[in-house]
This record gives sequence, structure tokens and C-alpha cells, in this order.
Amino acid sequence: MEVKTEELLKIYDKEVLNVKELVFKSGLITAIVGPNGSGKSTLLNIIAATLKKDGGRVYYDGSLTVPLQKMTIVFQKPFLIDASVYMNIAYPLKIRKIPKEEIKDRVEKIARDLNIEDLLNKNAHHLSGGEKAKVSLARALIFKPELLLLDEPCASLDPYIITEIEKILLKINKEEKTTIILITHDLSEAKRIADEILLLNKGKVVALKKRDDFFNSDDETVRRFINGELLI
Amino acid sequence: MDIILEGIKEAFKLIFTLDSEVFEVVLLSLQVSFTALFIASVIAIPLGIIIAKNDFPFKNLVMRLIYTFMGMPPVLCGLFVYILFMRRGPFGFLSLNYTKEIMIIAQTLLITPIMIGLIINESIKCQNEVFSLAKTLGADKWQSFKLLLFEVRRGILMAIVTGFSRAISEVGAVMVVGGNIKGKTRVMTTYISELKGMGDFERAIATGIILLLIAFMVNSLLYHFQRIKSYGS
Repeated sequence: MEVKTEELLKIYDKEVLNVKELVFKSGLITAIVGPNGSGKSTLLNIIAATLKKDGGRVYYDGSLTVPLQKMTIVFQKPFLIDASVYMNIAYPLKIRKIPKEEIKDRVEKIARDLNIEDLLNKNAHHLSGGEKAKVSLARALIFKPELLLLDEPCASLDPYIITEIEKILLKINKEEKTTIILITHDLSEAKRIADEILLLNKGKVVALKKRDDFFNSDDETVRRFINGELLI
Repeated sequence: MDIILEGIKEAFKLIFTLDSEVFEVVLLSLQVSFTALFIASVIAIPLGIIIAKNDFPFKNLVMRLIYTFMGMPPVLCGLFVYILFMRRGPFGFLSLNYTKEIMIIAQTLLITPIMIGLIINESIKCQNEVFSLAKTLGADKWQSFKLLLFEVRRGILMAIVTGFSRAISEVGAVMVVGGNIKGKTRVMTTYISELKGMGDFERAIATGIILLLIAFMVNSLLYHFQRIKSYGS
């Protein structure tokens, strides 16, 4: 699914997002990077329709209608239902009236892919942070969304779990052609999995480039950000 | 101390000999309290969630009124209902005073605000996350509402347990509107009050123990149900 935004504007006490035009190409993984308060989460939540915008438009495959059945967002601190892991993962299929047998097969398959088979009967509230991240990712992936939005899915997770999550993201991007937009603070993660990188600063777009072009960019702000300097 | 021991002995005797007077009182108590609980639940569960979820004019005032009514003295509630339904009152034509129906109305009015208040508090804790999650997973409004109901089920159960406990144990409201008429409006609490007045402490303690045993059994059942519905270890 292609996502195009025009004249997006969000104002709290001050303007936190003001971007003219952005295009997130279909089937690509785009990483959104930038310092704290640069508007990354605001942009992602506006695309996810979990935050109202104060101006502008978001087009999903050319349409202004939000395709809630075909997209989802995974937050850094996921909210899991106070129920078993199985029920959490199965929920999106249940509301889509998928037959029980098929739900069971698909839950078991995704649980195998994410190495969480042994957690299926546990209460989701009793999991560690890494386990919760994997369960919320499984819940998001199970209905095969065309657009997957991720707000720092790997923040504060151990490297082994990060590798597992990155592998699964690359796999579904390749196999299902899922468009993935993820926020990350980790440039090395963006380098590992993103096709394109968007740098935001103070609510404005600094650069949206292909991965290699981004890391070889001559743009001073991009270079300073890559070198870990504070952007002002 | 002897009075208490005698009371305990008497309680078991009354239970095992199936004392007709006591069982009549127990049955009426359960009938009145469970009916009031059912009506209050039907009103309080959706209303609590709707009030918690929606913003509307004077919401703060409504919330403060609900919290005030949560602490309403039962005798005041009974008086209010009595006045409404007395012969000269607005609903006097229904001739409900001193019937079990009016006791149900009084108990319903007493426990509904308590249940609404508890459900509002529980719902407020997680409703934003639940609705946001449901939306992002593609749920429609009804599915989102059902998910919230599921998520706050423990709070709802706690409200039901509290409502039942309050209904079965209150004496003021049912005394004022029901009048403790033998075979018609006499429930356990009003019976205990009368026995105390007559100096029959053994029977009063015995009835009290039966009341506590019933409350214990009902609460145990509800907690058991809650654990079954918890899903996952």
C-alpha cells in the first residue's frame, strides 16, 4: 500500500509537525529517524489515524478513506488484552469472522515463526518486555496487513530479540509485500532493514532518501545526525 | 460469649432442621437482593461504560452526584422511595408500599450508583488503550465495546459482588419501605433487627450466621467464575 501525505500539520502548544509532501512507497520498509521531539510519533500516529491532524491529507493507495481493516500500528509499549497470548494473537482474526480451525492454524504458525509457541497459554500480562513486543507483533502480522506501522518496536529489547523481530519484518516485507514504516532511534537498525530513510527535525522533513543515498549524503544536517551531533 | 456459642449452635440447628420461618426469610432476602442486583447490573454496566467513555455537558457534575449517591444512607434511600410511593406520593396509585416489589426498587436505587461508580473507575483506567487497540486492529464500534467489556470484566464482577453485598446486608431501606411484615416483606436483616428487639439473641445470631454464609457462598461462586474467565495462567 502506498501512503502519500500532503500539507500535514499538527499543533499542540506549538507546531510539532509541518510537512509539505511525503510518499511512502508500496512494498518498501521506510525508517523514520530524528531527534526526540522531531515529530516522528506524531507523523506515524496521524498515518495510523490514532491522532487527529490539524491540517492536510493522507492518501492510502490514492484514497482518503482510512483502510482500518488493512493496516495496523504496533507501539513501543504495546497494550495487550488481559487474556492468554493465544487470545491476543487470535483477536484480529476473530473480529474478521475467520473460522476457528483456521484461526488455530494461523496462530500456531505465527507463534512458531516468532518463537513464542510456549507462551500461547500464558496470560499476556505476565510476560517480559521482549515477549510482549513479540506477541504484539504477532497480533499485528496475523491478519496480513498491507500497511504496518511500528513505533520503536525494538526499543529497550535485547539484541537477540531485536534480530528475531528484524528477521520477521524482512520476511513479511519480502513475502507479503507489506509496506512497513517504522520509527527507530537506532541508525544501525535502519541500515540493516530499511529501503528508505526519512529524517525529521523540529517537525519538518530534512531528507527522505534511499538507504545508501542517505548514509552517503552530502547534506550537512544528515551528516551531523549520522555523526551523532545534536541537531538544533 | 455463651450467647455467641448458643447462637452458632442454634444456626446449625436451624439450617439442618430446615426451619420454615428462617427459610422463608432467607428465600425472600435472596429473591429481593438478586432481582435488585439483576436490574442494577442491566442499568449500571452499560451506563458506567458510556459515562466513562463519552464527554458531555455537566459530566463532572454527574460524576460527583454518582459518587455522592454511592455513600447514600440506606434509610434515606428508603425514605425517598417511601415518599414517592406512599398513597399521596406521585406513584401512590401503584399501591406498592409494604410489598417485596418496593423493596426491590429501594435496593436497586441504593446499589445502582455504587455499581456505576465502580464501573466508571475501572473503565477509565484502560478505555483509551482498549479503543485505540481495537481501532488499529480493524474492530468496529460494537466489537470495540465488547473488547472493553471483556477487559473490565474483573471490575464489573467486583461491582456485582459489592452490589450484592450491599443489597443483602442493608436494613434501613427495606425496613422503611417494606415494614418487616411476617411472610410478606420480612428479610434476614429486618428479622435480625426484630429478634434483637425481642431479646432473642441466639436466633438473631443464627440468622446473622446464615446471612454471612450465604454472602460467602455467593461471593465464592462469583470469584470462581472470575478465575475461570481469566484465560491464561
